[in-house]
Amino acid sequence: MTQAKLNRPLSSEELDRFGAELDALRARTVAKVGDEDARYIRRIVKAVRYTEAAGRALLFAGLFPPAWILGTLLLGLSKILENMELGHNVIHGQYDWMNDPTLNGKTYEWDIVGTSENWRKTHNYKHHTYTNIRGLDDDIGYGVLRIFPEQKWKPLYLAQPLFAVIFALLFEWGVAIQDVRLGRWLKGKMSGAQLRKEFAPVGRKIRRQIIKDYVAFPLLAGPFFLPVLTGNIVANILRNLWTYMIIFCGHFTADVETFPKSVLRNESRGHWYLRQLRGSSNISGGTLLHIMSGNLSHQIEHHMFPDLPARRYAEMAPVVREICARYGQNYNTGSLPRQFGQVVWRILRHSLPSRPRREAVLTVDAPQDAAVA
Amino acid sequence: MRRLLNPLIAPDVFDFWASKVNSTWSWERPLARIVARRPEAHGAVTLVLQPNRHFAGFVPGQHINVTAEIDGVRVTRSYSPTNIPAADRRVELTVKQIDGGRMSTHLIGHTQVGDVLELGPAFGEMTWPEAADGRWLLLAAGSGITPMMSLVRAWAAACMPGELTLVYTARTQAELCFAAELRELAAREPRFHLHLLLTRESDAFAGAPYTERGGRLDADWLQQRVPELAAHTVYACGPAGFVDSARQIAGNRAARFHAEAFTPPALVDDVAGTVRVELRASGRTLELPAGQSLLAALEAQGVHPAHGCRMGICNTCACGKLSGTTQDLNTGDRDAEPNSALRICVNRACSDLTLDL
Repeated sequence: MTQAKLNRPLSSEELDRFGAELDALRARTVAKVGDEDARYIRRIVKAVRYTEAAGRALLFAGLFPPAWILGTLLLGLSKILENMELGHNVIHGQYDWMNDPTLNGKTYEWDIVGTSENWRKTHNYKHHTYTNIRGLDDDIGYGVLRIFPEQKWKPLYLAQPLFAVIFALLFEWGVAIQDVRLGRWLKGKMSGAQLRKEFAPVGRKIRRQIIKDYVAFPLLAGPFFLPVLTGNIVANILRNLWTYMIIFCGHFTADVETFPKSVLRNESRGHWYLRQLRGSSNISGGTLLHIMSGNLSHQIEHHMFPDLPARRYAEMAPVVREICARYGQNYNTGSLPRQFGQVVWRILRHSLPSRPRREAVLTVDAPQDAAVA
Repeated sequence: MRRLLNPLIAPDVFDFWASKVNSTWSWERPLARIVARRPEAHGAVTLVLQPNRHFAGFVPGQHINVTAEIDGVRVTRSYSPTNIPAADRRVELTVKQIDGGRMSTHLIGHTQVGDVLELGPAFGEMTWPEAADGRWLLLAAGSGITPMMSLVRAWAAACMPGELTLVYTARTQAELCFAAELRELAAREPRFHLHLLLTRESDAFAGAPYTERGGRLDADWLQQRVPELAAHTVYACGPAGFVDSARQIAGNRAARFHAEAFTPPALVDDVAGTVRVELRASGRTLELPAGQSLLAALEAQGVHPAHGCRMGICNTCACGKLSGTTQDLNTGDRDAEPNSALRICVNRACSDLTLDL
């Protein structure tokens, strides 16, 4: 929209220089990664463990309402920290250089019903490689929402405002089955046996999470079964709502662009960086917001450098912003209310039929590399 | 207990809380606490470790991967225990300072009693067979003494079933580890023959028994000291150069020869140019120089696969090779077998490769 008009199409040479400057920033940051980052992520692990223990302990005294409220909030906080600043970033391999098997991207399993294995495929591979490319990045509306006018409208989308709320409440479940491809099975493109095979590990993870949060810990509380059960349910929902909001602000704000598959043709490094920039949006705020969002408040930096420790994004952001300004590119950032307001507007607006706006272009050299605002 | 806790708590979480009570308590990881340390020689320290119950033990002559955290990074190197297995399950590691060595500098300079190290399973075939009679010749240089010391102690503890000769080469008298114990054993036990060779000290013989200054292991020397080499089984351990010359001197003449080298062999660079290596699991394809070990070539590209010893014995870096031909830098053997395990630290690519990394 208005901000997107600031984007100047870049020539191949400009894109190369743009990419080289970002690569140089990356190299400077990689050189700094070390002991400090290791100590930071261990502190996060500590915070996750202590808030979880405190939350669960308070919930055992959950008949006393203030204890229930505080316990639920602490458990929700623990799950948010674990999913975002710890799990998401560790699964990206941001801390693989530590060689710590408990912080290894290939083996880390997080406290959420979705398996890390599926996440590594849908998120680390598909979403981060093919960010906002229609038909390749399943995160565009997660296959259930119409966020962009380029997605085909169907009458079903009229119920989208309601469905978006349900999806937010059950967000972890949506993530869990994202890669199970129920749609292919419904269309008869996949056999029941294949579906069962793909679902098996997801099923095991779901069972484990349900037993932990909704059976084992409530049973452990004996007569206080119910307050613990409800506290755990609410904590999981709080985590769902928060992560949904942060993640939707990362790619579904007003100025974010999606791309046709043709952008991949001979895509240069600089071009890739530019696509990450145009497809992502930041949330401005303080340190607390950055930690609580797993530094996805720096979605732009995260998409440019997904394998660097996320705590480094804050110091990289001003440099990225300055580089973008020099190349005439909009650096999409705003407060949480502003960014989420734009997301809500998109969900409402595109539940009704809508048509793509004018086409914005990424480069001046390759007309087929068109993007749509 | 474990079954009961399983639905409630993940191993990582259990370890986090367990370590608050006892630093070596763990769900399943073999951890060991340093309970004592003593200087063993100039630039060498012996660490006495008390492992938790997840450590499965070792056999004299084997290696153990030891992991320590150094500046936020967990570093793994192989060490041979120098003691023999006992009821207290303790493991003694004798660590020699390597110039610029990250792990040895840390273990000697920065670890204290009470610190915790992680251990891997013991591995290696340089061990006593069940019937260890006959004649044995152990050739050790530098820290190559460590597995040999365990073998000698085990031999002594088993009341000396056969004849044993140890040739131990060090640079100086001050760097000899276990010298007093070895000399004492040689004086007491007629079937144990000891030769301590000092390569950097050529002054006149100063009276220390079994010690030769300026001596160097060569064919003539060995012919004089061990005339019936053909009747001996030979174990050799030390730096690659030492092991190579030991192999040349004794490899064909001994009844049996087995060697383990510490430093990686020099690169065989007969294939210039690059190969395309597809990393299937991470979805990347890289152009790598063919002359280098795959591990080094990958690391130069910013990819850091799991690895341990970097010399082809610990198997930590092993990954599935789905297709392509590789060459073992140790042996020169080429391997074109698809779907096989490949140790990337000692193999280079001879063709385009697909790896399960």
